[in-house]
Amino acid sequence: MSLDDLGVVLFTLEMAGLATAAILVPGVASALLLARYRGPGKGALETILSLPLVLPPTAVGLALLEVLGRDRPLGSWLASAGVEVVFTWKAVVLATAVMSFPLLVRSARTAFEEVDPRLVGIARTLGAGPAAAFWRVTLPLAWRGVLAGVVLAFSRALGEFGATIMVAGNIPGRTQTLSLAIFHDVQTGRDGRAVALAGVTVALAFCALWTTEWIVRRRSGEDAP
Amino acid sequence: MSGPALEIDFTLPLARFVLRVRVQLPPGVTAVMGPSGAGKTSLLEALAGLRRRARGRIVVGDDVLLDDARGVSLPPERRRVGYVPQDAGLFPHLSVLDNVRFGSRSDAKAVDAALDTLEIRPLLPRRPRSLSGGERQRVALARALATRPQVLLLDEPLAALDPGLRERILPWLLRVRDEWALPCVYVTHNVGEALAAASHLVLLREGTVEAEGDPRSLLSAATVVAEAEAGIENLVPGRVVAHDPGAGVTRVRTDAQLDVSVPLVVSRTVGAAVTLAIRAEDVLVCASPVEGLSARNVYTARVESLERTGPDVTLRCRLEVGGSELLARVTPAAVDALSLRVGAPVWLAVKSHSVRLL
Repeated sequence: MSLDDLGVVLFTLEMAGLATAAILVPGVASALLLARYRGPGKGALETILSLPLVLPPTAVGLALLEVLGRDRPLGSWLASAGVEVVFTWKAVVLATAVMSFPLLVRSARTAFEEVDPRLVGIARTLGAGPAAAFWRVTLPLAWRGVLAGVVLAFSRALGEFGATIMVAGNIPGRTQTLSLAIFHDVQTGRDGRAVALAGVTVALAFCALWTTEWIVRRRSGEDAP
Repeated sequence: MSGPALEIDFTLPLARFVLRVRVQLPPGVTAVMGPSGAGKTSLLEALAGLRRRARGRIVVGDDVLLDDARGVSLPPERRRVGYVPQDAGLFPHLSVLDNVRFGSRSDAKAVDAALDTLEIRPLLPRRPRSLSGGERQRVALARALATRPQVLLLDEPLAALDPGLRERILPWLLRVRDEWALPCVYVTHNVGEALAAASHLVLLREGTVEAEGDPRSLLSAATVVAEAEAGIENLVPGRVVAHDPGAGVTRVRTDAQLDVSVPLVVSRTVGAAVTLAIRAEDVLVCASPVEGLSARNVYTARVESLERTGPDVTLRCRLEVGGSELLARVTPAAVDALSLRVGAPVWLAVKSHSVRLL
C-alpha cells in the first residue's frame, strides 16, 4: 500500500470518526425522545428521522446541495462568514453524518425502550433528578445498544458514497474517501488498487463490529450471577 | 406527631375510571386493600409523584407535595417518599449494596441501619437477579429506608402469598414499623397481614374509597372476600413468651391467655406482639379427649354454632381457657360421624406447623 493509499484510509477514518462524534449527542437525544415521548407528532418525527435509511443517498446529497449550495440562502450566508462547506471535507462529514444518523437512532432507541421506565421512576423517588436518573440508570442499562448503534453508524460512515459524492465531489487529497477512491480507480482502470482498497474497507468494518461484539460479550459475562 | 400524617385529596384519570382518593391517614401503617385493578398501585404512584396527571392536594407531615391550586407539584426526587413497588424494582446493573446506597440522600449511617433492620448484609455483593422474591423486597425496602423517607409506600405483590415466612415482606415491615416509626401506606391482598400490621385501613374499589377506618371493624365486613381468596383464617393476637430451641418451638400466649406453640422463630423477640394465623381447615376436631397425638396444641372447647360454608361446615368453637373462639372447618360427613351439634364438647388440635406467625 502506497503512502497515498494510507492517506485515503486515514482520511476516511477521520471523516467517519468526526461524523460519528457529530451525531452522538443529537442521535442519543433523538433516540431517547422517540423511546419515551408519547404525544402527537411522534409518527411524523419517527418517519423523518428514518428517511435517510430508505432514500437514495444521491437524493439526500442533492437535498444537502440545495440547502448548502453557494447560490442558496444558507450556503451564501455561510460563504459570507468565510465557511465553505460544499466540496470540502466538511461536506464529507455532513453527508456521512446525515446518512449514519438513523442507524444510531434506531439501535439506541430500541435499547432505551428496553429499559423499564418504572426503574427510572424509582430512581427519581430515591432522589435522582431527570439527568442523574439518565446517567445512573437509563444509560448503564442501555449502553450496549447505544454502543452497537455508534459502531453501526461509524461503519456506515466508512462506506458512505452517494450523498458524499453529491455534496463533496470526488477530489483526490481533499474529499476522496475509500469508497470514492474505489469508484474512481475502477472508472480509471486501476482495478488492482480498487480491490486492495475494498479489502481495507472490509478489514476496517470487521474490526469495528468485532470489537463491539467482544466488549458486549465480556460485559454480559461479568453480569452473570 | 399530632393530626394526620398524610392528607390525601386528589383525582387521577385512569384508563377505565377516575381514581378519587380523599382520606386522612394517621401515623403508623395504613393498609390499602381492594380487588385487582381498583387503583391501589396508581394511588402509591401518585403519592410518589410518578403520576403527573394527579390533581389535588397531598400533604405529608408539614410538607406539601402536591397542591395544584397553588401551583405546587414536587417532582419525585423532592418528595422524600420511600417507594417499594410490586416487583421490588431493583436496578439490575448494580449490586445489592449499590442499590441500597443509590439514593442521593442516603448517608452511611442510614444505609447501615437499613441493612441491619432488614438483615441483608450477606446479600450485599450479589446482583438482584440472583435473589429470591422475598430477598428482593427486603433489599428494595432497605434502599427506600436508606434515603430517610418521610413516608413509606409499599406495594405487596400477589406472588408474595407464598408459604415461606422469610419470603414475605410482612415481618420486615413490622420491624420497620416498630424501629423506624414511619408512616406507611401498605398495599396488600391479605386480610391477615392487614390486621397484623395496620392501624388504619382503606378499601378501594373502582378508583373510589369504599370504606376506611379501623381494620378490625372493617375487615369483618370484608372477610367474605378473604374467605373466597384464602379460606377462613383464625387470627389470634398474642405475645411471644419464650423460645425453646431444644423443643424446636416458640411459645406464644394469646391475649385470651391461651398457650400456643409454633415452630421456632427467633427473629421475633420475647415480648413482641404477634398475630397467629391458623387456617380453619387446619384445626383438627375430636369428639373425645385426645392422647398420644403429635399436635402440640390441644384445647378443650364447646361447639357454639355450625354453619354451612360452601361444601364444608364451619364450626364456631368456644375454648374453655380464656373463652376465645376458634373456627374449624370440617366436612358434613365428619359432622355426622362425630355427632357434632351446638353445645357438644370437642377437643381441638392444631399442629405447630399449621400456625403461622404474622
